Amino acid sequence: MKLTVNGETREIAGTESLNIDETLVTLKVADPLYVTVELNGTILEREAFGTTQVKDGDVLEFLYFMGGGGQ
Amino acid sequence: MSLRADQIERYSRHILLQDIGGKGQEKLLAGRVLIIGAGGLGAPIALYLGAAGVGTLGIADADMVDVTNLQRQVIHFTPDIGKPKVVSAAEKVRAINPDVTVHPHQEWISAENIAGFIADYDFIIDGTDNFATKFLINDACVLGNKPYSHGGILRFDGQTLTVKPHESACYRCIFSAPPPKDAIPTCSEAGVIGVLPGVIGTIQATEAIKYLLGIGDLLTGRLLTYNATSLTFREIRIQRNPKCPVCGSQPTLTELKDNSDALNVCELETT
Amino acid sequence: MTFVKTKLELEKLIAGDTLEVLLCEGEPLSNVPKTAIEQGFTVVENVHVKDNVHKLVIQKREGSPA
Ligand SMILES: [Zn+2]
Repeated sequence: MKLTVNGETREIAGTESLNIDETLVTLKVADPLYVTVELNGTILEREAFGTTQVKDGDVLEFLYFMGGGGQ
Repeated sequence: MSLRADQIERYSRHILLQDIGGKGQEKLLAGRVLIIGAGGLGAPIALYLGAAGVGTLGIADADMVDVTNLQRQVIHFTPDIGKPKVVSAAEKVRAINPDVTVHPHQEWISAENIAGFIADYDFIIDGTDNFATKFLINDACVLGNKPYSHGGILRFDGQTLTVKPHESACYRCIFSAPPPKDAIPTCSEAGVIGVLPGVIGTIQATEAIKYLLGIGDLLTGRLLTYNATSLTFREIRIQRNPKCPVCGSQPTLTELKDNSDALNVCELETT
Repeated sequence: MTFVKTKLELEKLIAGDTLEVLLCEGEPLSNVPKTAIEQGFTVVENVHVKDNVHKLVIQKREGSPA
């Protein structure tokens, strides 16, 4: 299946559906414990990661904590 | 209020702009902006808002200028090392523009004092480096109904979002709670390219100016991310989250408390 | 700076009002009418008054900048 991940097309071969947890692993997302996931414009609850399926054509955004600034 | 002859000259490039003019400049001079954090982000924010003639600038930071700051915190100079950051920043802003009244607040922002601070200002800017304070600023601004700008930087990446409480998504609509202490690398551990806060901070200052003028479209409902390596900006649409703990339909967070678990994400002495 | 000062006066007008400006030849005379038109005002009159001084009448229209 083809996904749009942070604006880029990503192909995941050999499967037509994965849940969010599996997708995070497959796409080797950094800091999967702290990433916020937006699926097709809606921010997902962390508890729903195991039960939410992504399918061909879905748009995913992984949003990261960014501190910095230097107080 | 009417502009003095020297102000007409100083602000002539603003006055010429259709969307600003003399009336807009008067709005800026009457405007009050609180900058929390006088570091990488706070530096360009304070310099540009001061130069623009935002009449009252609060600058809050308890830290002292350190040599490791100077690679990016362009409001502080080498002879300022050891000086309180708010003193150093206030000196520069006053030197750029004597029209500006600067209120230096040399203290850490906490659940006890933040509501009192923000009440006096029209627009708040988060230029802090730790998640405890970032979440506290968000919560205080949402509960106190103050528009504010979030900014964050790390390595070669930056992000910024403007929040109009109860109208647009807040920081907790995206990130429901602070990460555990030490979970997310800090600038002092992971590094940050010195020009990065210049880009993000300047955008935050732009938002403050637009808000005071009442012009244009604020960066609400969209998180702007910037990567310096690829030189790409991206905009991610963010809707208000009905389950947001502070601005959702059934908020669980109705009074301010310190997020002590997440405190100290950037070690203060090495920031 | 002449146009900046002119613009500040124009801001005080309402649509339909006119502003009379006395301009010296040279930079003010070449800049002010041009910029006024660019910014959406109408130059109603531009006459030589005396020596190197011109009188410019600028009108604020519906749709001119506030
Ligand atoms: Zn929210």
